[in-house]
Amino acid sequence: MQPISGINMSSALQNLSQMQSASGVSGLNGNGLGAASGAGAADASSFKNILLDSIQEVNSMQQDAAAAVEGLATGEDVNPAEVMTAVQKADIAFRMMMQIRNKLVQAYTQIENIRV
Amino acid sequence: MIMPAFDISTSGLVAQRVRMNTISSNLANISTTSNEAGEAEPYKPRYAVFQTDDGIGRNGAAGVNVSSVQTDEEVQPRWKYQPGHPDAVKEGERKGWVAYPGINMMTEFTDALEAARAYEANLGAMDITKDLQQQTLRILA
Repeated sequence: MQPISGINMSSALQNLSQMQSASGVSGLNGNGLGAASGAGAADASSFKNILLDSIQEVNSMQQDAAAAVEGLATGEDVNPAEVMTAVQKADIAFRMMMQIRNKLVQAYTQIENIRV
Repeated sequence: MIMPAFDISTSGLVAQRVRMNTISSNLANISTTSNEAGEAEPYKPRYAVFQTDDGIGRNGAAGVNVSSVQTDEEVQPRWKYQPGHPDAVKEGERKGWVAYPGINMMTEFTDALEAARAYEANLGAMDITKDLQQQTLRILA
């Protein structure tokens, strides 16, 4: 089975913390995640790209899972274990993406509530 | 990311399944006295050969794949005296004897149990990996 490349959670978290510090919201400590590998450049525009990339990877994982399930249902010579793994990986990746999205929305509401 | 652990466990599941297939084949053909062409030749037991697969793992961990399914050429047939059998030896010292595959049902079943346990073990490892992944989400939640 070809391994499906996973999105890099640590780099995603790191970028999230960068975005937070860039927008002045306290919370995740950049140093706390410093050990995590990944794109460490303090570039505000790259965060969007990385987020989009990870969403795309989650999407491709879900497409892989859907293709595997379809293969299983239409009687192709696929191993059930591989199908289940593809589905599980897509599920985990999607949940992770949702957590990141929730964190983003939370950060946004915090900024929104700042009185000027 | 924890995902490679998933792929490694899956490779184990796939490999054990292939092994289980060969065991089923050996048990199904335990009384097979002729080959595909209909000639008198006892079935030879097949065994799956596993090899490590570094392409699946990461950081030194390796998955497994089935390098080949080998037939056991050394195995001695079990001889039964059945002169009326169409696959019986026609002439010579063994005249009237039929060669049956030299498969030991007991060892095949033991192998089958082992394959099933190994499959379960891979599933267990996968469960733990899944748990870890879900726990990791709590960092953000």
